[in-house]
Amino acid sequence: MTEIAFTFPLANGLHARPASLLQEVCRRFAAAILLRNDRQRSQADSRSVLELVASGTTCGDPCRLEISGPDEKNAGHALRTFLQQVLPHADDNLPPPVPAGGPKVWLPPVFCQDAACILPARVLAPGIGSARALHLQKTEIPLRRFAAGKMDVKTELRLFRQACRELESDLQKKAATLQDANAAGIMRAHLALIGDPGFRERISAAIVKKHKPAGVAIAQATDHFARILRRSPSAYLRERVDDLQDLARQLAEKLYGRPAARPRRPVSKPGVVVAAALAPSELLALDRRHLRGLVLGDVGITSHTAILARSFQIPAVALSPQDLEKIKNAEELIVDGRRGLVCRRPGPALKRYYRLEERKLRFRSRQLDRWKAEPAQSADGRRLEIAANIGSTIELQPAWKNGAEGIGLFRTETLFLGRDAAPGEDEQFAAYRQAARAARGRTVIIRTLDIGGDKRLPYLPLPQEENPFLGYRAVRFYAGQPELIQCQLRAILRAARHGSLKIMVPMVTGLEEVRLVRRLLAAAAAELRERKISHARSVEVGIMVETPAAALFLDRLAREADFFSIGSNDLLQYFLAADRGNARLADLYEPLHPAFLRLLFQVARQARKAKRWLGLCGEMAGDAALLPLLLGLGLDELSMASGRIPGVKTRLRQLRSDDCRRLLQEAMCCASSSEVSEMLKDFNNRSLDVGAIAAELIRLDSTSRSADEAIRELCDLLELGGRVEDASALEEAVWKRELTYATDLGFGFAIPHGKAATVKTGSIAFLRPRRPFPWLGKSAPPVRGVLLIAVPAAAHGEEHLQLIARLSRRLMHEDFRAELLSARDTDTALAVLRQCLQGS
Amino acid sequence: MKIVAVTACPTGIAHTYMAAEQLEKAARRLGHQIKVETQGAMGIENELSAEDINGAELVILAADITVQKRERFENLKTIEVGVQEAIKNPAALFSRPAG
Repeated sequence: MTEIAFTFPLANGLHARPASLLQEVCRRFAAAILLRNDRQRSQADSRSVLELVASGTTCGDPCRLEISGPDEKNAGHALRTFLQQVLPHADDNLPPPVPAGGPKVWLPPVFCQDAACILPARVLAPGIGSARALHLQKTEIPLRRFAAGKMDVKTELRLFRQACRELESDLQKKAATLQDANAAGIMRAHLALIGDPGFRERISAAIVKKHKPAGVAIAQATDHFARILRRSPSAYLRERVDDLQDLARQLAEKLYGRPAARPRRPVSKPGVVVAAALAPSELLALDRRHLRGLVLGDVGITSHTAILARSFQIPAVALSPQDLEKIKNAEELIVDGRRGLVCRRPGPALKRYYRLEERKLRFRSRQLDRWKAEPAQSADGRRLEIAANIGSTIELQPAWKNGAEGIGLFRTETLFLGRDAAPGEDEQFAAYRQAARAARGRTVIIRTLDIGGDKRLPYLPLPQEENPFLGYRAVRFYAGQPELIQCQLRAILRAARHGSLKIMVPMVTGLEEVRLVRRLLAAAAAELRERKISHARSVEVGIMVETPAAALFLDRLAREADFFSIGSNDLLQYFLAADRGNARLADLYEPLHPAFLRLLFQVARQARKAKRWLGLCGEMAGDAALLPLLLGLGLDELSMASGRIPGVKTRLRQLRSDDCRRLLQEAMCCASSSEVSEMLKDFNNRSLDVGAIAAELIRLDSTSRSADEAIRELCDLLELGGRVEDASALEEAVWKRELTYATDLGFGFAIPHGKAATVKTGSIAFLRPRRPFPWLGKSAPPVRGVLLIAVPAAAHGEEHLQLIARLSRRLMHEDFRAELLSARDTDTALAVLRQCLQGS
Repeated sequence: MKIVAVTACPTGIAHTYMAAEQLEKAARRLGHQIKVETQGAMGIENELSAEDINGAELVILAADITVQKRERFENLKTIEVGVQEAIKNPAALFSRPAG
């Protein structure tokens, strides 16, 4: 028996998607593979996704895979690779869970007027939506209805298998056509569930041995696994019961036709769907164009319905059964997936307040779109291309959506894994062409096959090795398998007619390997010429720098290679001789090791000298906290999981390349990685150097009609201006201050202010309402100007405080106030404020 | 008249300084000599020395929070008010009987 010990890496535990990935690998071997979880004291047959999921495995659990059978050695190698390379990334593109909202969230005073209409809710998907309520009725799985009647084992078995086939084909179609990668992933997870041997065998056995009708057998198997899942300590796993019941319901539909289906109402005009339960398939069936929000009953934050809602950006919350019943059909609702509440029939003040918020969100997303569209560059204009890593064409769309400027790494292994024969030239061509076309002129870097003795392909006889990561893998087997690689190169050459494609060679250590690939490429082109198939005349060939040899030999390799990209994950593990899958070496596997930074610096310097383009496509590329060091290296490109792109692009705009170069120099001289880490943290914490006031923080024609609206509007301006992380947190601090005593100065001027951790840099924002309004219902003259002051929580030594103190003093002078209130336009108002702040 | 004053408000961002400004402005207009210490978010500024305090005929404490180093003003003629009062009507404080 072979045994592999590992620590479970995923935050959400072993749920359906990682389980189906593991099952796919295990299925390829004859050996029996058992997962043992030593903390939960559970075990599971690895061929059954359900049993895997039911093992209740959560993040950090010590686990073992026990492999026994004729091909256990091969299975062991494959599983080691899987545990190191695939499993840790299984959730990379999962939309992040939202912070828990609910009744504890602070609400501004405007909510008090409408307190009766506010229902506290759990947040499932962020965002705010409003429309009329549209009720969907709850339905039970009606399978038991079919328990009565004649029973013929053969017929039932046939019906059951046919239902499975039909549902599988439906799910496959959906998985292939759904644009959204998360939705397609969920369909694939459902496919794995429906094909699950544990589930299928249980149902067949109930039909054959216990003479149960198919419907009853399905219901019993569903109940059986639902019971196990419900006992799981992980909420995520408990919520998989919904998926199981969704499938059972759909199977029942296939078995018995419409009666099992829920009468569905089309969403023909804007509406908020209200339902006690909503299965993923039911959400997919709704017309999402008019769907403004979801108000659900018993649905968990990590349920697939909630993941889909986040993925489609539909605000969604869950209510208690009592509160859910209060909502009447067609009444007006506001779904607040930020604060965690639902407003029924909101009054005019609250509606106006939410309109402000929606305006902010619209503005925010326009702002994000603009940033996405703009080229990625640092504050001082240093260009750094931000690209996406993908493993299949299904990840293309999320990449562009997140603002990728290219594909820096297209791993092609997924095309080759889990099948009996290598993908043909045409099939590969179709995939590469899809990427080339979708890129619309942006570059796609395709890495040629990176596979070794640790991944068993039935059609690729590679020797078993003791140490596959240092073995006969990637470019090293190309000479022995020229046709396999030439086929891939032909597909790339053909696809390169449809866009900008480049080839990247993995695991290079010397010149001969690059020359080999060039020879194979020439042969591939010659064959296409002979076959008279249109293809690109030439394609750039680059090297993935992932061995220390390549890193220190770049000047010579540059003669054969058109470009380089640092594969930092493998480079780091080869450089530090530390297996990155080994939990005991986690402290050692550290990209901030000063020696590793020196190596990267060397690589960058050599690439510049040789005038070669240099990217970096490992994990560290997507870590915004490390960005200062990477910018300091002077790379041309960073390529990362697409979800990381917006964060990295935003951070890049705040950094100056000269500061970062200095930081890198200092980091390379540090004594340890923890010293580098401290230095980096300091650097990242240092406040941004911006003035306390800017044009975008001034609004002279505000439509605000109350203190509630004015404060909200000013906090939003500060958030949009990048001064404040979260406008609501500042709003709360300002109101807490305001309620000790009002900040209305008594001469048509109010100066609400607050101190909060969410404030990045001391700032002021100013608005003039079109119509002056009384401040907090006071009888004093209505306010004509509102100036909001925001100060960071830890503001000692903040230079802006000095300026704000000066401003407060100036506000006591009537001439200054008059100037501010009569300023013709934003620029004039800005000049008045600036002049005061500068003390001239 | 020689006056010393301390201003302090809850957040120490705005009212502390507005009150100081109002007191200084009113004193100048009425021909008094004044020194105002602010206790705000930046800590104590323009701190009153023993000499300042000893020479003063009137102490004004305009604060909504506890004044720091309060013991300096023991046995002196002291007026205590909220910050807002100093902002709204600073001049009135100068002629008010001390408590």
